[in-house]
Amino acid sequence: MEQLLEMAGKVSDKAEIYSVDARGDSVSFENAHLKDIDSSIQSGVSLRIMKNGILGFAYTKNLANREGLIQNALDSLKGGVEGLFELPLTKNVPSLNTYDPSAETLSNSAMVEECSRVCEILSQKTKGQINISASRSTGSIRIINSSGTDLSWKSSAYYLSPHILYPYSSASLHRILKSKGFVKAADEYLNFLSETYDQSLKEVSPEGRNLKVLFLPETAYVLMWRLQTATSGLSIYQNISPLTQKIGEKIFDERLSIYSDPLNDTLPHARAFDDEGTPCSLFPIIEKGVLKNFYYDLYFALKLKTSPTGHGFKGSISSKPAPSLTHLCVAPGNKSFSELLKSIDHGIIIAGALGAHSGNIPNGDFSIGVAPALYVEKGAIAGHVKDVMVAGNIYDTLKKVAEIEDTVYPSHGGNFPAILFDNINVTLKK
Amino acid sequence: MQQKRGIMFEKLRAMISGATADYADVRYEIMRETRIAFHGRELFHIGSNATDGFVIRVLKNGGLSSIAFTRADDAETALHTAEENAALIARHINKPVEFAKTDIIQDTFLPDTDEDPRQVSIDEKLQLTRNYNSIPLKFEKIATTNIYYSEVVREKYFVSTEGAKIREDLLTTALGGLITSKDGTLSQNVRVALGGSNGFALLRNQEEEFEKRTAIALDLLHAAPVTGGTYNIVLNQDLAGVFTHEAFGHFSEADLIEDSTMRERMQTGAHLGNEALNIIDDPAMPGQLGFYCYDDEGVKARPVSLMKQGVLVGRLHSRRTAAAFGEGLTGHCVAEDYRYAPIVRMGNIFIEPSEKTLEGLLAMLGDGLYILDSKGGQTSGENFTFGAQYGYVIKEGKIRNMIRDINITGNLYHTLKNITAVGNDLVLSKTGGCGKGQLNIRSCHGAPHILINNVVVGGI
Repeated sequence: MEQLLEMAGKVSDKAEIYSVDARGDSVSFENAHLKDIDSSIQSGVSLRIMKNGILGFAYTKNLANREGLIQNALDSLKGGVEGLFELPLTKNVPSLNTYDPSAETLSNSAMVEECSRVCEILSQKTKGQINISASRSTGSIRIINSSGTDLSWKSSAYYLSPHILYPYSSASLHRILKSKGFVKAADEYLNFLSETYDQSLKEVSPEGRNLKVLFLPETAYVLMWRLQTATSGLSIYQNISPLTQKIGEKIFDERLSIYSDPLNDTLPHARAFDDEGTPCSLFPIIEKGVLKNFYYDLYFALKLKTSPTGHGFKGSISSKPAPSLTHLCVAPGNKSFSELLKSIDHGIIIAGALGAHSGNIPNGDFSIGVAPALYVEKGAIAGHVKDVMVAGNIYDTLKKVAEIEDTVYPSHGGNFPAILFDNINVTLKK
Repeated sequence: MQQKRGIMFEKLRAMISGATADYADVRYEIMRETRIAFHGRELFHIGSNATDGFVIRVLKNGGLSSIAFTRADDAETALHTAEENAALIARHINKPVEFAKTDIIQDTFLPDTDEDPRQVSIDEKLQLTRNYNSIPLKFEKIATTNIYYSEVVREKYFVSTEGAKIREDLLTTALGGLITSKDGTLSQNVRVALGGSNGFALLRNQEEEFEKRTAIALDLLHAAPVTGGTYNIVLNQDLAGVFTHEAFGHFSEADLIEDSTMRERMQTGAHLGNEALNIIDDPAMPGQLGFYCYDDEGVKARPVSLMKQGVLVGRLHSRRTAAAFGEGLTGHCVAEDYRYAPIVRMGNIFIEPSEKTLEGLLAMLGDGLYILDSKGGQTSGENFTFGAQYGYVIKEGKIRNMIRDINITGNLYHTLKNITAVGNDLVLSKTGGCGKGQLNIRSCHGAPHILINNVVVGGI
């Protein structure tokens, strides 16, 4: 890599090399039986160069041909993509505990055993079909640039994801376990899944229009996705965010605090620096309902004449860094899950969302199919409902917070509690 | 060229020659990508790159496992890992995996193109993308665009211990993206999607399409949000195609229903749909987005009739699922690229056209909604949801005011029965992006206009 940086430095004004190595194994069970084991050994290198204020970019999987990689980056200069930002000199970032060596030695056979154990426990407690996947991964990243930055990061992760399926459907009740190394799934966690499933198994057909709606941690991403889009430096620069002029304004219920917490190394993939080498920090987006910050990478920070915030992350080796909220959290509230249920007289729990990616995301709109939709009557789960849609706009919905759960769970898109809302537009099939 | 091919086949054969398994195959791919992206007027990305990698699959004592890797030096470790994993599966598996027998193919298939994109300079691609991007940006109320050019060329080599040696190229081009209009705090967006599998020529002279899509984005600023409720609706070709793909097609993929309770309902011979419905998947349609000759298990692709007059008559298979279901091979086991083992995918899936004109369908509809163009869809078992880019209220068979923010949801079985009429105007999609664990940019779907009764539409 040093040699590549030196070669790139000779033909450009600034250069940055990002390299990644990753190893992963995954095990999947369908209908409580082992179905697949897949493995992957991947590597990649990407190169950004800047010359006369123009940005060039190239990537490869195997660094067999350094000259070829540099030539591809030089060729891409011809297009004239602006590249005026400075590459940071970052040293002395906080030391995070992101690697658990037990992930390295965890065998596929041990993951098969754990999945079998979980299948057996859940099968004894419930009649629903059990599908489970478990995976472990280890990886490393290194970033070096012509400003003198040389940062490395080593990580490990173990995921377990059991699903209990509703009959004649692939809608499921699920909750992911994430850790840096292997941990046995706790009884409490498995009981939550099996008990909630059993209570909701009966198909019911309630009526109503504006109901209380509880987003589980697993579906809170539907709402957060819209906020992430609206607060991204990209949307601000493109002038498509409804929040452009609203820093300092109260836009949500005061019980909502939403922040990026990349330094939390109790969970896998904590980061002390982003994929451009900018230091990461605890970063508020919403504090007690008030909009505090937009987030930026190097490119959009310069475009908007502000400072980078440590949110330049790459989706893959083949993409350039872009503003991303990769460590999003919603602060917990003060009600237990059972207290949340008790406060619902007539409402829907969104345990799975369909179509979260459609609709006018920059505008904050959502309109999702709910599968499974659990029905709550007089403080208890009374069954599940089919053909349900829930729709709204987050700048209206997130003002209608009724209660927030007192515990956060690692979920798709971040670390979230369950959030209960009043008076949400629900369409039930007649 | 032939000599280079021979050397590569020999290198790949050597990689799996040490296998102690009953069967092994290896796929090597070089993927050449060119991407150009505009955010508004600004060029955000331009470049061409090549990456490559290998996938080895092993079938041993009834256990099937795969490994993806990028360095040729890792081949021995990779083969060993895949064999260990296969043996582990074999010790735990309920029913040993078998592969349906297939013809052993040794062939090279390089598709005909109408103007090979590799021969068009990147400067010309940039100019064309810039020209199209400038069309919406002439208007004051167009806030921004996200317009991109994408070209993916996969040069694939496949070798198996059964003796298969296949070389095939897949070329995919796309030019399109998002046009965003804004008035005050209201913003709306509309997609443009041009592209296909047979060359660069189909991207030329498409100014009119950009003008049309821009006009829709501007009109949406004056449209009313749809009122949620249950409606009778006419879907245009793109949305009817998404329905066919999302709600029905995925459950024609044998791997998705193999271990699911849905298998009971998806029996061949089951009367699932209205008799107006005939559905086919045919990856062998030359010139269509989903076209290929051989799948990633070396099986020749062939047309499959999935539904005839509402009766389920076929499904899509890999070698594994064909054997497990005791049904014929179809050649539908496809991988996104060198990072993945192949899974069962649709190729070109479509509802066969019937007799009704659009006017005829709207007359049958009477009062209801006419909704157009997909904004993404998703399915979970029998439930599906998808978004529409825009629509119109229909009164007494006539198109009235425009509506926006439309999402529909439903149940597969009810909806298949509720498709009461099929139009005569089949259109197949030009770009794809099915995300069944892996992204398939060549996933192609189509339909004529269709009439569906009793659909849940969610409004805001």
